[in-house]
Amino acid sequence: MKLEYLYPELGNLFGDGANMRYLRQCIPEAEYVETPLNAVPAFAGDGDVRFVYCGPMTERGQRMALPALRPYAQAMEDRVRDGCCFLFTGNSLEMAGQSIRTAEDTLKGLGLFDLEAHQDLNKRYNGFFLGKFDDLEITAFNSRFSHCHPGPGVDGFASVIRGIGLEEGCPFEGVRRKNFLGTYLLGPLLVLNPLLTQKLLKTLGAERTEPLFFREAMEAYTRRKEEFSDRRRKLD
Amino acid sequence: MKGLRFSLALAVGKCAQFAMRLLGKKATYLPGKLALRICPDFLSRIGKPELLIGVTGTNGKTTVSNMLCDLLIGFGEDPVSNRLGSNIDAGAASALLEAASLSGRCRRRVGVLEMDERSAARIFPGVKPNFLIITNLFRDSMRRNAHPEYIASLLDRYIPPETRLILNGDDPISSNVAKLNGRVYFGIDPLPFEPPARENLVVDARLCPICGEPIQYDFRRYNHIGRAHCDSCGWTSPRNDFQLISADRDTGLMTVLDNDIWHDYRMPADAVYNLYNAVAAVAALRTIGYSPEQIAEGMEKLQVVQSRFWQEQIGKWELTEIMAKGLNAVACSRNFDYVANAEGAKAVVLLLDDVFDEKSSSENIAWLYDADFEFLAGEDTVQVLAVGARCLDTRLRLLIAGVPAERITVVQQAKDAASAVDLSQCGKVFVLYEVYRQNQAVMVRNAIAERMRKA
Repeated sequence: MKLEYLYPELGNLFGDGANMRYLRQCIPEAEYVETPLNAVPAFAGDGDVRFVYCGPMTERGQRMALPALRPYAQAMEDRVRDGCCFLFTGNSLEMAGQSIRTAEDTLKGLGLFDLEAHQDLNKRYNGFFLGKFDDLEITAFNSRFSHCHPGPGVDGFASVIRGIGLEEGCPFEGVRRKNFLGTYLLGPLLVLNPLLTQKLLKTLGAERTEPLFFREAMEAYTRRKEEFSDRRRKLD
Repeated sequence: MKGLRFSLALAVGKCAQFAMRLLGKKATYLPGKLALRICPDFLSRIGKPELLIGVTGTNGKTTVSNMLCDLLIGFGEDPVSNRLGSNIDAGAASALLEAASLSGRCRRRVGVLEMDERSAARIFPGVKPNFLIITNLFRDSMRRNAHPEYIASLLDRYIPPETRLILNGDDPISSNVAKLNGRVYFGIDPLPFEPPARENLVVDARLCPICGEPIQYDFRRYNHIGRAHCDSCGWTSPRNDFQLISADRDTGLMTVLDNDIWHDYRMPADAVYNLYNAVAAVAALRTIGYSPEQIAEGMEKLQVVQSRFWQEQIGKWELTEIMAKGLNAVACSRNFDYVANAEGAKAVVLLLDDVFDEKSSSENIAWLYDADFEFLAGEDTVQVLAVGARCLDTRLRLLIAGVPAERITVVQQAKDAASAVDLSQCGKVFVLYEVYRQNQAVMVRNAIAERMRKA
């Protein structure tokens, strides 16, 4: 089994690299691949890649990553269909959509999802998020300059309990198709959500499906969930 | 013509300053805030000193501003400054109000304004410093600063074209802002007493600022501070105009190469980050026109305020308290590095939770995973105490960093931290605290000191 970290030199702005470091610790038997910007992504040529991670980037980084990834959009589509797991967090989610509108121009996305992103560098949204992914409660954080408008038929990653979704008023956060999860939520998402990680480990067919330091991770998660559920606490 | 609004803002600001002083307050924020509320372009209209030096950057700007003020006072100046107060637009406005006559004219010749790097858009349209020092740009609170490239882009956009820049040539991010502005660079050679650089989780300058290809570091001091070049387009770190070439801890002297001539100055402190602050101050004063001899004489008397660092030997223990700046992964990592380099068995008390989020929200703990907690996994770090509301998150972070579970102590409340330190195992105790937890840190430190004295 191979785990691929796409563009680590760009996609690690907010502690996001921890997702892959943690996963590596949880699945020591897996091979870990880092794909730099100008290399061919491993998922495009190797059927043994079972998980691909891409993290949030600077706005300049996003402009560099999109053209690098565009030639592999079809390969990505094929791998999603095959059931390969993808996790795109923060603004890397926007790359999977149709377009990203900035103050200067519009960037063409990979077209995997019917999403239009709008970026406004004068408005930053910060806040915690509590939502539901299948039967699991997700706790995480938002910090972003942009919002996405989803087209009809787009399935969300998580329904919103507290916080905001893809855009103001959207009842769901992120996107999902088969095992592709895209989400604006950022940071060490897998560390913050041990039950999500457990589910991922099962999907990947890891030898050990209990995440590392599961008890301690669950204690931290439970406390955070209580805090996020407390309506007296502000989102930011 | 300064206008009615301005006159009203000036009068209200002055009255507020006077009234607050009567009440024993510092008046370094509210008067400026009121003036800006009444006259939004107050900063453009109020009189400025003939020579204005701005200081910004992620880390070190307060220290550099204080050094400059003290040196200028030593040179017989009476600089207007915001050293006692806020570094955002209201702080700058309060400082300029203080120095203004009733007509709004500035009564001082020189000014030093510390400027929050995120506030560039609100300060620079009105305040056009003759010189601007940028100490460095690192990741800081993601909520306020997003990322360093974003802050660099704000500075690019708002730094006035006439401002001459004094830049850290060892920082590939801040040394590349506002490329059309006149500039000088400062930096530091590798020093013999520096331990080898540790691997950092965060290196924000990995790609060439010109062509976007990966850059190679010829020398990396920490994070992205060092000397780098790009094989693809030929970009290199700039040649520094003011280069600290040696620092002798025995004599307390540092040598700065300046236009190919070296000059000795007294080191105000010997930690490398403070040497960057000192060489930034020297570079600024030399660029303004002070002679090396004048600066050297001034630096003989200079003292860095040590409120952020406290150390005492108590019996067989050494107790150290360091301000670590929560939410700022790089600042914390520098302190973890310092702790890791200290010889002998040590215990570390972590008081790093954000005060405001603890009260009203829930802290975004993503920054914990940018900070190098791995430095605390060495065998001689015999105990790490995760203290406060986020203690369970900190414990998990420490475990993932490789700190064995038996060395981690979870403490829910700061008042219980001192008694949880196992003094029987260590010869050194470090208390690392977030800036707004200084009172708690002092309480913990005093309680530990008492235990040490009684032992």
